[in-house]
Amino acid sequence: MNNIQPLRLIICCLTVLHVFSVASAQDVLRWGADPSGGAPYVYTDPSAPDNYIGYEKEMVDALATAMGKKAEFVPSDWETLVSALQRKSFDVIVNGLEPTGDRAQQILFSKPYYIFQLQLTVRREDNRITSLDDCKNRIVGTLGNTAASRMLQQQNIPFRSYQDPVGAYRDLELKRIDAVLMDVPAEAFYARKNQKLKQAGPPFSRGLYVIGLRKGDEALKAQVDAGIDKIIVDGTLESILKKWGLWNDAQVEFQTPIRTGTKQEVGNIEMTNSSFNWGEALKRLTKAAMVTVLIAFGSMLIAVVLGLPLALGQWKGPIWLRVICTAYVEFFRGTPVLVQLLFLYFGLPVIGIAMPGWLTALVGLGLNYAAYESQVYRAALEAIPKGQWEAAYSLGMSPILAFRRIILPQAFRFALPPMTNDFVSLFKDTSVAFAISVWELATAYRELANASGQFLLLGLIVSIFYLAMSLPMAHLARLLEQSMRGRTTERPEEAEVAA
Amino acid sequence: MIRVSGLRKQFGSNQILRGVEFEVPAKSVLGVIGASGSGKTTLLRCLNGLERLDGGTIQCNDVVLETNISAAEYRRRVKNLRLEVGTVFQHFFLFPHLSVLGNVIEAPVHVRGVPKKKAEAEAHELLDAVGMKHAVRRYPDSLSGGEQQRVAIARALAMQPALVLFDEPTSALDPRRIQSLRALLRSFVDRGHTMIIISHSIGFLGAVSDNLLFMEGGLVVEHGPTGQMMKEPKDPRTKDFLAQAE
Repeated sequence: MNNIQPLRLIICCLTVLHVFSVASAQDVLRWGADPSGGAPYVYTDPSAPDNYIGYEKEMVDALATAMGKKAEFVPSDWETLVSALQRKSFDVIVNGLEPTGDRAQQILFSKPYYIFQLQLTVRREDNRITSLDDCKNRIVGTLGNTAASRMLQQQNIPFRSYQDPVGAYRDLELKRIDAVLMDVPAEAFYARKNQKLKQAGPPFSRGLYVIGLRKGDEALKAQVDAGIDKIIVDGTLESILKKWGLWNDAQVEFQTPIRTGTKQEVGNIEMTNSSFNWGEALKRLTKAAMVTVLIAFGSMLIAVVLGLPLALGQWKGPIWLRVICTAYVEFFRGTPVLVQLLFLYFGLPVIGIAMPGWLTALVGLGLNYAAYESQVYRAALEAIPKGQWEAAYSLGMSPILAFRRIILPQAFRFALPPMTNDFVSLFKDTSVAFAISVWELATAYRELANASGQFLLLGLIVSIFYLAMSLPMAHLARLLEQSMRGRTTERPEEAEVAA
Repeated sequence: MIRVSGLRKQFGSNQILRGVEFEVPAKSVLGVIGASGSGKTTLLRCLNGLERLDGGTIQCNDVVLETNISAAEYRRRVKNLRLEVGTVFQHFFLFPHLSVLGNVIEAPVHVRGVPKKKAEAEAHELLDAVGMKHAVRRYPDSLSGGEQQRVAIARALAMQPALVLFDEPTSALDPRRIQSLRALLRSFVDRGHTMIIISHSIGFLGAVSDNLLFMEGGLVVEHGPTGQMMKEPKDPRTKDFLAQAE
């Protein structure tokens, strides 16, 4: 009896909640945006981490009120906002979204609510760069799939895409890149107060922010458009923008016609279109493939070389060395390689070691796989019968000579098959370099696919790239194995007796 | 000449050798007999330095291995001892990654520093002598047990040791091959090698050895010329052992 009553109460509450939520669905405006590194648009309040703030947050609250609704924020991921909208994770995108030709094919746009410009930022001591024209042979950081990245692409300026502005500006400080091109709101928040950075030239190139809606959601679009007009006309948006330091001449120019009821002029607004061309895409994929190969071979070299002393230390070393080697192995095997890379990339600069991304990936994966290779070696060395050592000693060999001439070559035969496996998996693991913005195949895939919407076709191409590289490697390793096994039958002896 | 005196070896509290004494004249074969656990194999492993002595001395030509010397000096003498003593293991332990020729020239080239061409010429002679000339380019895995043994013999002899140790050389051979092994070993004795052979096959040792040595409980029970030991052993324990082996 005591149990039944609380249960009934819970059921009652759930029913009420359910009815309430169904009834209120009409009155809620669910909006999606990426809050990570998302200042000043929408981001986590540093003083109250479960709370979101930002000028767009305030704007959507005002907009929802103007529409007679209640705003509900759905945190999402910038790169996948469009598909999340289509999956109905939320009703509108409000995230400094620019209307582009390719997006127009997938979603509806509201009226614009903000005019943004782009700002180029460089290091304070750097006097080489005063405009984008000075960047032809330098690397410029920006956010992926934005007006800025498309402009860099169109002008053939080498650029690196970041997930959020923080990473881009930090890499600029660390000299990993030469400049950052960013929408003014983000630049104003993240870079303008930074003493180590400065603006290179004035803001340029105007663009619009609009709200994105699902195709066919015309009724909601009408409501949103009316709401935008309302908060512009009654000055709500102006006061929000002023509060966030984003009010400028461009906004005055943009809002005045709406507020006075005259016809809106959008003639001087550039609407960027993603210019996706397959030749360019393949060129960039090929470059990414070369970076992938470089990272894979470089890190395997580190792993193969460093693995041996680790194995020997753990196998025959004095106790202190054994402890160190075991600790190394367990650390690198027991923590995710992704975390290790992030640590090397973002953590090491704190103590003054700032490696470029590709080198970080190369070294990080090398250190990680050295732990695995050491275990392969150890198992292979332990698999050599004790009699081989004793036969070598009996012939007068020193331990080092016996190891080098007798034990190691035999252990190598045992080690080769697992090493081959490791190399193929290392090859695929290079894709974690994506996390530190290295332009390798996985990064290239994600970015090109996001820019073009060609997830399927590009996915196939990228897979072919991976296979074209890993299959020959696996084949080569098999040949090597076979040739070593083949020595048990008759073969010329010149091959293995090196003087 | 090989002289062993007061040789002691123990594993933990287990005394394996309790003061072994014997001499082997140059260019002769000593056969060592005894039941399993009598210390034969440990004796062999002491003679080629694979086990560290706990007491006594081993003298082989100019090299004297003893226990009252520093660790570094002991290591140095073990190294010298191994240049004087070659071993043919029961399971041969040929190097599987090297060809037959590679197995034979490995130590001369890399330990003695013999030029490769010269080492190869000598190896061909040795392999011819053991009847393995046809297989110089083959790899150990493709050889029969008897063939592997002949390669192992050639490998040990290539270092020109004064003394060659054999651990159970007949265990992998059929009777016909045991006969030819006997002839082969005698031919090497005629060329000036000295041998110590451990075997359970009294018949084989009776035919190949100049002297026999019977061990029991880590001690030498009886040691004498083969003919006399076989026909009229002095010690009753030797008599019992030989009677049971018949």
